[in-house]
Parts: sequence; C-alpha cells; structure tokens
Amino acid sequence: MADAKALGLTELARLGFAELEGTLQRLDQLVKIVGDSGRAAFAPLSQSANPDQALKALIELGERDSASLKKALKQHETAQRLILTLGASSALIDFLRRYPPALKVFDKSQSKLPSRESMRQALLAAASANFTDAFKCEDAWAALRRAYRIELVRLAAFDLTQTSPTEALPTVAAHLADMAGAALDAGLAVARHELTASTDHGTYTRAEVENTRVAVIAMGKCGARELNYISDVDVIFVAESASEETSTERALEIATRLATRMMRAMDGNASEPGLWQVDPNLRPEGKSGALVRTLDSHLAYYERWAQNWEFQALLKARSIAGDSALGEAYVQRTAALVWQSAAREGFVESAQKMRERVTDFIPENEVARQIKLGPGGLRDIEFTVQLLQLVHGRTDESVRVRDTLSAITALREGGYIGRMDAAVFSEHYRYLRLLEHRIQLSEMRRTHLMPTGEIPLRSLARSTKHKNADELLTTWERVKVEVRSLHQKVFYRPLLSAVAKLEDSDLTLSNDQAFDRLRAIGFVDPENALRHIQALTSGLSRRAAIQRSLLPVLLQWFSEGSEPDVALLSFRRLSEDLGESPWFLRMLRDASGAAQRLTSVLSLSRLATALFERIPEAAAWLEGNDKMQPSTREEIVAETQAILERHESIETAAAAIRAIRRRETLRLALGAVVGDLKLEQIEAGLTAITEGYLDGLIGLLFESTHTDVSSLPMSELVEFAAIAMGRFGGGELGFGSDADLMFVYRPKAATNDDAQRIVERFIADLRRLCADPVLEFELDIDLRPEGKNGPVARSLDSYAAYYKRWANTWEAQALLRARPIAGSAQLCTDFESLIDEYRYPQVLDEKSVIEIRRIKARVETERLPQGADPRRHLKLGRGSLSDVEWLVQLLQLKFGNQHPAIRSPRTIDALQACVAEGLIEAHDARVLQEAWILASRVRSASVLWANKRTDVLPNDRRVLDGMARILEYPPHSATALEQDYLAFTRRARGVFERIFYNV
Amino acid sequence: MDKQRDFVLRTIEERSVKFVRLWFTDVAGTLKSVAIAPAEIEGAFAEGIGFDGSAIEGLARTYEADMLACPDPSTFQILPWRGEIDPTARMFCDIQTPDGQPAAADPRNVLRRALAKASDMGFSFYIHPEIEFYLLKSSQIGPEGPVPVDKAGYFDNVPGGTAHDFRRRAVSMLEQLGISVEFSHHEGGPGQNEIDLRYADALTMADNIMTFRTVVKEVAIEQGVYATFMPKPFTEHPGSGMHTHMSLFEGDTNAFFDPSGQYSLSKTAKHFIAGLLRHASEITAVTNQYVNSYKRLWGGGEAPSFVCWGHNNRSALIRVPLYKPEKGQSSRIEYRAIDSAANPYLAYALLLSAGLKGIENEYELPPETEDNVWSLTDSERRAMGIQPLPQSLDHAVRKLEDSELAAETLGEEVFSYVLANKRREWSDYRAQVTPFELKQNLETL
Repeated sequence: MADAKALGLTELARLGFAELEGTLQRLDQLVKIVGDSGRAAFAPLSQSANPDQALKALIELGERDSASLKKALKQHETAQRLILTLGASSALIDFLRRYPPALKVFDKSQSKLPSRESMRQALLAAASANFTDAFKCEDAWAALRRAYRIELVRLAAFDLTQTSPTEALPTVAAHLADMAGAALDAGLAVARHELTASTDHGTYTRAEVENTRVAVIAMGKCGARELNYISDVDVIFVAESASEETSTERALEIATRLATRMMRAMDGNASEPGLWQVDPNLRPEGKSGALVRTLDSHLAYYERWAQNWEFQALLKARSIAGDSALGEAYVQRTAALVWQSAAREGFVESAQKMRERVTDFIPENEVARQIKLGPGGLRDIEFTVQLLQLVHGRTDESVRVRDTLSAITALREGGYIGRMDAAVFSEHYRYLRLLEHRIQLSEMRRTHLMPTGEIPLRSLARSTKHKNADELLTTWERVKVEVRSLHQKVFYRPLLSAVAKLEDSDLTLSNDQAFDRLRAIGFVDPENALRHIQALTSGLSRRAAIQRSLLPVLLQWFSEGSEPDVALLSFRRLSEDLGESPWFLRMLRDASGAAQRLTSVLSLSRLATALFERIPEAAAWLEGNDKMQPSTREEIVAETQAILERHESIETAAAAIRAIRRRETLRLALGAVVGDLKLEQIEAGLTAITEGYLDGLIGLLFESTHTDVSSLPMSELVEFAAIAMGRFGGGELGFGSDADLMFVYRPKAATNDDAQRIVERFIADLRRLCADPVLEFELDIDLRPEGKNGPVARSLDSYAAYYKRWANTWEAQALLRARPIAGSAQLCTDFESLIDEYRYPQVLDEKSVIEIRRIKARVETERLPQGADPRRHLKLGRGSLSDVEWLVQLLQLKFGNQHPAIRSPRTIDALQACVAEGLIEAHDARVLQEAWILASRVRSASVLWANKRTDVLPNDRRVLDGMARILEYPPHSATALEQDYLAFTRRARGVFERIFYNV
Repeated sequence: MDKQRDFVLRTIEERSVKFVRLWFTDVAGTLKSVAIAPAEIEGAFAEGIGFDGSAIEGLARTYEADMLACPDPSTFQILPWRGEIDPTARMFCDIQTPDGQPAAADPRNVLRRALAKASDMGFSFYIHPEIEFYLLKSSQIGPEGPVPVDKAGYFDNVPGGTAHDFRRRAVSMLEQLGISVEFSHHEGGPGQNEIDLRYADALTMADNIMTFRTVVKEVAIEQGVYATFMPKPFTEHPGSGMHTHMSLFEGDTNAFFDPSGQYSLSKTAKHFIAGLLRHASEITAVTNQYVNSYKRLWGGGEAPSFVCWGHNNRSALIRVPLYKPEKGQSSRIEYRAIDSAANPYLAYALLLSAGLKGIENEYELPPETEDNVWSLTDSERRAMGIQPLPQSLDHAVRKLEDSELAAETLGEEVFSYVLANKRREWSDYRAQVTPFELKQNLETL
C-alpha cells in the first residue's frame, strides 16, 4: 500500500471509504499518531464494514493511548481483528471508549474462544471481586457486564475475521448462548451475596440462602444454543430446598428474590449499561404464574394444565445456570412429556395455531424489511422444521434435537427432507441469520429489520461479503422467494412422492410417513386422500403435469379448510370433469388467489360446487370481489329481454333464462362464501334474481297465444300482475327460500270465464317452466285466499269480494308483506289500494289481537315437525324468524294505519321504523334484530353448505364448523356458533313473550 | 398424560384389578358409572369409551346419542370398599362428542370452562367444603318420619355410638382414596354428621365430593345404617348444608389477602363477594336444586336466607371467617347457602363466575351486616337493603330464567336442561296433597 499522501481520492473510494476528502486528513493524522505502523491499517480498513467509522475510532484510540495502538497495529492479525470490529460495530466502539482495557482482547494471543466453564469463572471472578465490606450490587453488576462485553468483543473479532462467516454461524450462536449462561450464573452469585449481605430484600440467614437450590432453564433460542447477538433470553426458574432446616415455602420465597435480583443484574441501572432482558414469561401460567416453582409443581402443571404450545416450547429447554443437578432433573423429566404431546388430542389444531402464529400481525410498513417474521423469513424455516419434528418425532427419536440446523440434518438423515432441500434450507437459514447478526452487532440493538439508508446498507453488504448494497438486496430477495416456497416443497410436496415418481426429487416417503403428515394436517382418511393424490398426479397429460407442481400448495389450502377430505375429492371430480379446459389449467398454473378461493369454495359449499360443475367459467370471477357482486334486477331483466328477442321456441328461451338464474345464484354463493357480501346484499341479490327470473318467464308466456281460446296473445286478453308474498315480498330471500306468489288479473278482451281459464293455463305453464332440476325452484302459491282450496288466481273484483266477506286476521297479516313484482302497473296499484284497507285497519280490535296470539301459540306447537327441538328450529323455533316476524306484523297491524312509516314488507325496515315511531324500545328491537339476522344467515349458510334446505340448526359438528366458517367465524367454531344461536334466540324469545303475549 | 396413563396401566397389572369403573356425573348431579375390563382401558385412554348419551339425564339430545367417556388418568384410585378379592378401581371421565370436542352438557366441562376463564384472568380457584349429612337407621320412613341413628347434638361424643365408628371408617376410606379430611364431628341434629375436606382446586374438589358421597353411602351400607344428603329430612332439626370456603390464588399468592384491607380482605376479595351477593338469587336454583332445599333455606337455624355478608356472622349468606393475620395464605370466604345435594360441578362453576363477574365489573361491596339477620323485622331488612334468597324452587327457577350469567356459564344446553328439569319438579310437587294439608284441613273442612 502506498503512502497515504500518494493515494488519490479514486483510490480511497475503491478502498471503501465514503467520506473521501476528510479521509485523507484522517489517514495523515493516524500516521502522525502511530508512525509508520499506521500504514498497516490500510488493508484491514479496506476490508471493514464501514472504513470511515473504523478509521475515526482508530484515531480516537490512538489519541488516548498511542503506544497500545501502535503495538496492536504492528501485528497483522491483531490489527485485522481490531479494525474489522471497529468497522462493524459502533456499539463496541462505545464500549472500548468506556473501558479501554478491553483493547487487549484484540491481541492475536487472545483470539481463541474460551470454553463455557472458563467464561463462567471469568464473569464470576469479575463480579465477586466486589464482594467486600463496601459491597454495592451496582458495582458487581457493572463488573459482570464488563467481563461479559470483553467476551462479546472477542467473539465479534472472531466472527468478523472468518473467511466463511456462514460456516461459523452455529459456533457463534452457540457461544452467545454460553456467554448468556455465564452471565446468568454470575448474576445469580451476586444475588445470593446481596441477600446474605444486606436486608434490602428481606432478612434471610446465610444458611437459608445456601440451602436454596435454584436452577435456571433456558428456553427458546438460548435453550437451543442458537442465540442472537442481542435478544431476550427466555428462562424458567426451578427451586428446591436442599435441607430440612429450610421449608420449601421459605426456599421458594428466597428463590423468587434471587431470580428477581438476578434479572436486575442483567438489566438494572449501573455504571455499565444492561446486557439484555431476561424474559421469564414462558413459565407455567405465563405472566400471572409464580416466578419460581418447585420441580414437582412444574411437573404437576405440565401434567395437568399445560397447553400444547407449552410443550412445544419445552422442546428447547436446557439447564443453563444455577444448580445443574436440579436443572438437569427438570430437563429430563419434562422431556418425557414433550413427545407425548404430539399424541394428545388437538395436535392438528395446535399445528394450525402454530401456523397462525407464523402469519401473525406484522406492522404493514415493516413487512418488506422483516428478516425474521416476514414472508420468506427465518420464522418460516423454523416453523417448517418444528412441524416436521413434531410430526415425525413421535415415532423417530433421532429428530428430537433442539436447534434448527441440527434438526435439518437429523430430518435429512431420517429421510424426511430431501438432500438437496436440506442443503438449501440450511444454507438459507445461515444466510438470514448472518444478516440478522451483522445488523444487530452494529448498534447492539434488538432488531430484525433490513436497514434503510445508503451507509447502513453498504456496511451490511460489506460485512456479509456482498459486492454492494444492490447485490445484497437482490440476493436477499432471491432467498426470501425460495424460503417461501420451501415450506410447501418440504412438507407437502413429498406427499406426492409416496404415490408418484417425481423427477426432480431425491426423496420418497413411505406410505406410513405420508399418512402421518396427512393426519397432522387434518385429513381423516389419509389412505383415500393418497389415492386421490395419485389419480390427480399420474399420467402424461398437461393437466397431470400442472397438478403435480400445484398439488402441494392446494393440499395446504385444503388442510386449512374444515373438511380437507371432501374438498380434495371435490377437486378431483372437478378436475376430471373439466379435463383439459384451458381456463382451468390457467387458473391452476397461476396458482393465484383465485385458485385458493376455489379450494375454499370446494371445502365449504356443496351448492357452489354443484353449480360450478355446470358453469366452470365462473372460476374467473374468483379473481376479485367485483365479479362476485350481485347483479341488479334491471341487469337481469335486460338479459332475459335479449333472450326473448333471440329465441324462437318457448322451451329454448326458458332454458336460457334458467341458465341465467343458475349463473347469478352461483355468483352470489361465491360472494357469500369467499367474497365480501353481507346478508342484506345476498337477500337483495337473490330477490333480484328471482324477480328477474319470473319476469322473464312471465314475459315469455304472456306474449304467446292460446289458440284454443283466442287468436290474440294473452296480453291483449287480460291485465295481469304477480304479487310476491312472505320473505319474497319482503325482499328477504335466502339461499333455498321458496318464492311465495299470488296472481291477480282483470279481463280485457276476454270474458270473465275465458280470462280465468287463460290465467290458470298460464300459471300451470309458468310452474312447469320455472322448475329447475339443477337448482331447485319452489313456486309456492299457498298463501292465496282459501289456501290450497282456492282458485290459483282471482280477478281484482273477486279479491275485493272475498276480502270484504271473508277476510280473517291471518290473511290480513299475510298481506302485510304483499309486494307486486311483475305485470300491469295499473293493476298493481289498484291491488295495493284494495288490500291496504285490510292490512292497515283503522282499528285492530282486541278480539283480533287475541286471535292472532292464539294462532301463533298454536302454530308454535303444531307446525313444528315431530320431535324437533324448538330451540334449534330456525323458522318456527324459540325466538327465531317467525317470532320476530309475528311481533313486527302485530305492530304493523295495530299501528300501520296511524304510522304510515312502518308500512314496509321488510321485517328489519319495519322494525326500525317502529323504533323511530316510538312503538318499541330500541334495546328490544336490537335483540330481535340480532336474532332474526343470525337465524337468516344460518339458514342461508346451511343451504350453501349442504345444497339442500334444512330448517333446523344441525347437530353434526363438522357441518356446524363449516357453516361457522361461511359465517366468518374463525376455524373450529362449531360450539361458538351453536352457543351464539341459542343465546341470541333465547333473548329474542324473552322480548317476544313480553311484548307479543303481553306478559 | 402418558406418565399417568402408564401408572394406571401398571397399577392395574400389579394389583390385579378386575374392573375399572368409569365415573361421570349427569346434569342433576347423580354419579354414573360404567364398568369396563382392564383390557379395554388402553383403548379408553386413546379413543374414549362410546356410550349412549341419550340414556343419561340432560347429557345428550336423543338424536346425538353417541358420546365418548374419556377417563382422566390423574383420578385413578382403587376403591377400598370392594375388598382385595376382586379389586375394583375408578376414574372420572370427561365426556366428548364423537368429533373429540368437550360435550357441552358435561358438568365437568362446565366447571373446566369456568376455571379456564378464571385462569385467563390469572386466577386459580380453591375450595374447602363442610359437608353435612344424616345417618338414619334405614331408608324406611317410620311413623314419625325418618329414624336417626342417635339422639346426640353438636360436637357430642357418643360413647360406643354408630356415628363415631362411622366417621372413623369413612375418614380412613377417604384417605385411602387420596382425599384429605380436615375435620369431622357430630352436628346439631340427631344422627347428623359433618366432614370437612381439606382444600383443593375446584375441579379436584368437585370430583372429591362425588367420591365422598359414594364413600359415605358405602360405609353406611357396610355398617347397616343409611346415609342421606337430603337437604332437610326433618322438619324440626337443622338441614344438611355444604358451607363452602373459597379463595382465589394468583400463582402462589392468595389474591383475597391484603393485610391493609378491612378484615385483611383485598380489593379482589371484596369485588368477588359483591359478585356473589349480586348474583346469589339467580344461581340458587343450582346451588339449592330441590323443592326440599328451600325447606332448609327457610327453616331457620343456621341457614342463610338473606343476601348479605358479615365477619363471623353466622346468619349471613357470606361469612368472612376469622383467621390469624400472619396466615395470609388462608384468606377465604364462606358461602353458606349451598346444600349437600347440589351438583358440585355446576354449583362451583356458577359461584366462581358470579365472583369473577364482580371482579371484572368492579362491583361495589355493600356494607357488612353485623346483626343476626333472622332477628330483624322485614321492614328493618328492607330499610337495610337486604334481599331474601328465593323462597321456593319455583321462585328460584324464575330468577334463573332471566340470568345471562347462568346461561353463559352453564352453556345454553345445560341451562335449558336445568330449567326444564326444575320446572317439571316444581309442577310435580305442586300437584301433591301433603300430610300438612291433610292434618290441617281434613278434619275441620
């Protein structure tokens, strides 16, 4: 290297300096301080992470003690250790500033990493030097921390001078854990001295304190000996009394003090800053549990109370400080419990919870910068490894190891991960950990975020052997992408290897191994599942090839649904039906959000699955919510109009109109299952479909002629209107609801008798045409006057005559929800003004009120199917739909005349209007509304799920779980849904009885 | 747990156990038992034993009859009264639905749920009951009513008496079953005895109470007498209560203890008591579940009929006992309404939930009552805001009906079963013509 003066600025830039002008002067300054030996610094400076930072620090050190620096720079290896450390860590520069003697650690002779035991001795010695008459715990803490940081400097120098830092990573991480152990041990010694030397924390005799055995168990990364430069150290405390003279209670009390003071030794205020937080919250009962327990108390807890995740945490437990015999006993006795946990009930759930923790909330602005928690981060690797360990560790002890890298090796040796995948896994893990280490080392801050800003990025790139920041970011992105796909590759893909030959894999799982994995992710019948996988992946077709590469991710999605077995079978059927159709292959190939939604639909809705097989192109809608919005009645009518104009025969036109109904129903079903549709939108959408459907078919028939009566088309002979009743009238149709209708006409060119005949023929035709074997359509006309015994249609005059003579209260009540939906506008208006007189009577006399109550009471007992549980009947049950509707209708009959605002066929609208008009308390209305909405939603969900209508809340728990998912409950909410339903309707019934029966 | 499972399987082998009884409790609080052969035990641990739940009161709706009884190995005990010839053991079971979820109608699960809620709030719940019962000569009713085995009274030592032998034998049997007894003595009524169990967590204690009832009945049979837990078998003698001492622990610390508080009661304890007081009437149909229970509650004596609390006040519903100030760990409160015939799982779940509700919503504790509430007049009580507990099962059921707390704690299934069952009992009772009426009316009317 040339004289500093001879260096050009270009040269300096090439060496890696960022501040060029200032550097020239600083290099001069350095040579002035240490003479020629300053030149020896050039080479290491150019290798350091941040040469500017290193150079400034050198000058500072030289100004304080030029002789020591000179000596250090003379020896090449020493100089390199010093300068690379200064360049990589401003935090360690601060430490050297606070405590210059630490400089000696850079000496070549100090480069060997000490053993765990000698570190323990060194830290203990440093701390106990303060155990004098003038003892102050802060002094002992400071000494302990300085001794720890000397080891930290030594380790950093070791780490930074490695030719392959990823190779050395496990050594570094293990050494960090050992250092933590030494610090905890020394901290415990200080705490013991504190308790015997002072009474600040209680009065204890020396003998009592000595009789108290305390062991510190490391958990998490420290337990697995794969600690970071800086992170919380997870621990659990165990204590016993060593002598009969000290009671267990007393020993626990002392041990609790010792543990608390030990934790303060790590992070309490003293002249040397704290090391890190000790986190004792993995202990039994977490934050609320006792800090210290006896071994028996720990075991009793684990045997009786512990959750599955607590056993998973125990996987990493290791005795690290304090009484090692006690610590070892703890580890041995809990180890036995860990592997039994996999055999426990709820293992599948706990594996799923583990996954949910992986995708926990990460702040939005950090996702892209997260090295640990983000997609493709370290936690993805750790999750996959732990899941495989839990699945296969039940039967194979060899994979029961603590740390991630050994686990990868063990899984490879055991034949659970392919050699290539294992190599990639291990390499990426080391790489990400190295990034994390270097970032943390710089300022000794607990962070897992990729830095921003030019200088920090550049330093990071230089300290991790990348050419520059761009190369660093590109490599990191590539690693993230690979890590993200590795989970599927390592966990799901080998499932295929059990039944298919995979050209790019060096691993073949046995059937039993595949069964274990399938069971672990929730397949009840792994044997059949494997058969479906075989069918889907075998053969030479393009579809089979695509499915081979896609099935791993599909299997993952199926496993997240409520019935993986059914979903896989449905998918197989769909795939076989659709064959090579290009949209299907494209959707699979792109493995987009659409494909994921498809798996949800197949898992959750038999109704949608059945329609899907008819309308495959609907898959395209799954790409975004906008295609799953309901169409309006106008849009549907416009489409049917176009059909009427195009088609010659009634039959083909009707078929085309039926197809529209199926398509639009599927759209709504998809929107309800995987889209964002709310109940009101679904009801409005289904009502629009039904209206459009009937409107189209009516239009079709209305324009045709019945030559046996007249040569004129029906439209010339009669005026005609269709009146929706019931839920249809209320615009509240759910999936599987009947369409209640009444018909009214007024003769034009025809005689009365002819008109009646024509309309009756017309209705028969309509009923024939609207029936649909694929998607059931039930046209119900039983709400007409005289019910089943009455004529299917009446003229307006006949209605008028009938209502005048015969109308009874229940008919008036049914008319509350009458709403004309098709036909002559004038006739509609006339019909409505006819019925208003009956449905909004001026006075509802007490006799009629009693009559309504009596009919309701009878309906409750008589209409309920034999043996049905009234609490679970969605329509007629306790506090469900009919209770709410009857109550609202009673209010409408009573007050509709004076309060026109409450005249609405819609239950919820009418109810809210009643609140606004002061006819019912807001609180009562809310209780009723909640029950009505939940019952309506449950009814729709049950049809979506099963593709058949049921009016009873199912008992089958899988069905309940599936319905709950459709209703946007979290997975495994069968009981929650059931409880909600029963509670909501119970409360509604209370309100109903009070108001309706006036009790 | 597998270690416990292994212990069970090993013990069955070593002790040549011939039968294992699987115990569980129906909603009414009756102990049910299924005996299985040792060969079936391993399978029972793995998958549970299927049985027809519809045959059990309140357990399952008829259309979902298949239920699983899953033995809890930590409750394994050899039954001492079966002798050594054909040793028989027992385990308590959790009831599951066929898909492995806890059954909503399993009382043990109701209590587990309430305990889980407490644990989420950082508490564990400990219980210590004082169980009273009568020893009768037989279950036959004599001309003067049931016939007690002796005529002794409170704390009396009856020389050569049946009761003494009886208690010695029962206590030793309980100890053999791993149930520690704190105290036992003769109670106020003739033939009436009391045995206090040493405190334990609520689930263990509920199991223990079920075992206790069985042991007491078995010992009675052995000694040729009859034991009854009926709340009030004699009009003129005190009823059999099950005064229950309760405490909450946070980790290893008693959460009811605060040396600076009144009677060393912590804020937590005060809210807990306030919760019990506010909800006491709603849960009485469960803590005192029979028509007969109300004869005890309103029969005078030591029975607490009014909703109030006091320090060492033996007429209050809740008593804060005296304890030595340095013994902070033994801080506790005593709920005195509950009787010996309650279903302990449901009753304790409700008591706990009522107390927790008080903590959650920081209910204000009303002032303590120092007087003997029985000696006050109705208007005095009204002036002091002291409400009576329900006066009959009918009254209690009406209170229960409106209780969100009870519905939430019991779960909708158990809640509606209890209501239906108790309404039926009341209407059956109402239909009776009683000896009282005959005596009062027959000759005069």
